[in-house]
Amino acid sequence: MTNDGLALATRGLQKRFGTRPALAGLDLSVPSGVVYGFLGPNGAGKTTTMRLLTGLIHPDAGTIEVLGRSFGRADRHRLFEVGALIESPSFYPYLSGRDNLRALAATGAPTGPGRIEELLELVGLRERGKDKVQTYSLGMKQRLGIAAALLSDPRLLLLDEPANGLDPAGIVAMRETLRHLAAQGKTVFVSSHVLGEVQQLADVIGIIAAGRLVREGPIDQLLLGEGAVRIRVELAEVDAARTALVPLVGDAMVEAIAGDDGWLAVHIAATRASEVNRALAQAGIYASALEAGNDLESLFLELTRGEAGASHEGTFFGLAGSNDAPPPRSGAADASTGGPS
Amino acid sequence: MRIFVAGIRKLLRRPATFVTLGLLVGLLGLILIAVSATAGQRTGRAAQESLLLVTFPGAYSLILSFILGLGGLFAVIYGAAIAGSEWTWGTLKAAVARGESRSGYQLLSFAAIVVMVGVGLVLALAAGVVVAIIGANIAGVSTAGLNDTETLGKMPELMARAWLAIVEEGALGFAIATLARSQLAGIGAGIGVYFGEQFASIFLPDIVKYLPFNAATAVVATSGTGGPGGGAIARLEPNVALLVVVAWLMGALLVTAIFTERAEISG
Ligand SMILES: Nc1ncnc2c1ncn2[C@@H]1O[C@H](COP(=O)(O)OP(=O)(O)OP(=O)(O)O)[C@@H](O)[C@H]1O
Ligand SMILES: [Mg+2]
Repeated sequence: MTNDGLALATRGLQKRFGTRPALAGLDLSVPSGVVYGFLGPNGAGKTTTMRLLTGLIHPDAGTIEVLGRSFGRADRHRLFEVGALIESPSFYPYLSGRDNLRALAATGAPTGPGRIEELLELVGLRERGKDKVQTYSLGMKQRLGIAAALLSDPRLLLLDEPANGLDPAGIVAMRETLRHLAAQGKTVFVSSHVLGEVQQLADVIGIIAAGRLVREGPIDQLLLGEGAVRIRVELAEVDAARTALVPLVGDAMVEAIAGDDGWLAVHIAATRASEVNRALAQAGIYASALEAGNDLESLFLELTRGEAGASHEGTFFGLAGSNDAPPPRSGAADASTGGPS
Repeated sequence: MRIFVAGIRKLLRRPATFVTLGLLVGLLGLILIAVSATAGQRTGRAAQESLLLVTFPGAYSLILSFILGLGGLFAVIYGAAIAGSEWTWGTLKAAVARGESRSGYQLLSFAAIVVMVGVGLVLALAAGVVVAIIGANIAGVSTAGLNDTETLGKMPELMARAWLAIVEEGALGFAIATLARSQLAGIGAGIGVYFGEQFASIFLPDIVKYLPFNAATAVVATSGTGGPGGGAIARLEPNVALLVVVAWLMGALLVTAIFTERAEISG
């Protein structure tokens, strides 16, 4: 069985560690030639998935297809066309960056001549290539890890939180590099917690929670229906504001944000924020604050709160702090541990 | 082959390689010099026996068995450090993720250790001989036996036996650290096994001669100078010891290969 046009596919992938399931039937479909953002809260199973995809561990159940062909225990050669950076980069601390890449090039697929110098240049380590890795900063090790993943010019690149420790210029450079690779027809599968970065980088995203896929698709489409307008009114006017807005969006689409501080979330396309404003004004209510956006963060938090696949209804901003703060604009990681509302 | 060559390059740049060889040569030199310098203060048989260490041609095989005795602990630590760091640093993970054969990677990495042990052995022996000549001069012993052709003719075989024995001890450390999946735990467990075997001789005198370190020191037949057993317990006959050592070596490599193939690699 092959899935044409998919660089990577998993079907019913399961993996437990002891009694704890890390993956509970994961179905991923990664098209060729795209940057795929692989998202999920801490402990969702992203790194576990990467390890399975590189044969470091083996699934308890389910199948994996890499570059259109099935990938099992005996198929290590398939990895000759795959480059990976999993969790933290791995190097001999007593060897230089250049010698580490040389040592790595002695394994797996052959590496073209000049490739190591090319990569050191690409990741901005040419000057420091002769220094021992133990003298590198966090971001420099990460850069070297990215170079290592690119060593054999892979058709499929698996990067587990590659932006970890990179400075802003490094992040921009990495984004450009990855976009460039995708433009060449290569597939980049990248996990990240930096959602703003993923939003800029990825063509397609998959969000997992508790070892299962909860949403997958082209990022533009997924964000289309994810608009929200957040308004803040006087506490005494919350009910009146809700009444004023229900005709616009329907009863279920207006909700108070936890915290009793007058914030309301209106589920409506971000582009229609002015309509919300007008409806309020017509009812004689004036919002003291109004925010609109259809960002990935909102979608992510919505999808990954509590149990995977639980109803999204009425949980959108349930996590907002109980203090006077506006709705969550950061702290995506907190969402994973949040209980059901 | 690429992995083997890369393995040698890695070991040549690794501080542990030179620290291990340096310690071995340093200890050997200290002992030889100390023996020759103090020989004059002793009398009778004791003085004569200690001077055997710097009296050629007999000194050749005595120095070799000395290296073998000291080398056991160093070899197990070195083997454990190399294998364990592959897990601790995640470099085995990186190779496997590139599609490299797990057992192939491990065995070729070990092959590089085999070469390094051989080179180290030759260097240590050469250094030992030089120090022994100096010692002989200090103690006023003739070095006329240096060119004894009969002894020199036997040396290659003795060297090969010692090489195999130290390689076996290194393989043991390699296997232990692979099972421990960690550099520190591997070195700790390796040292534990080494001294455990020495202690076992108190309780299991009949069995202990078959254990890896005692068998290794028995591979080169000498009058029992040096070596962890110190000659207190029965030794295997050298050729029997050779077979036992080969069996331990194969066993250690097999365990390494099978465990690595089956391991779930994380970190
Ligand atoms: N070697 C292991 N032994 C036991 N449990 C493990 C092991 N590796 C992962 N797990 C468990 O599997 C689950 C998924 O972990 P994984 O590392 O895949 O998460 P992740 O999505 O990469 O998280 P993060 O965003 O924090 O990197 C977690 O519950 C984790 O505790
Ligand atoms: Mg992870």
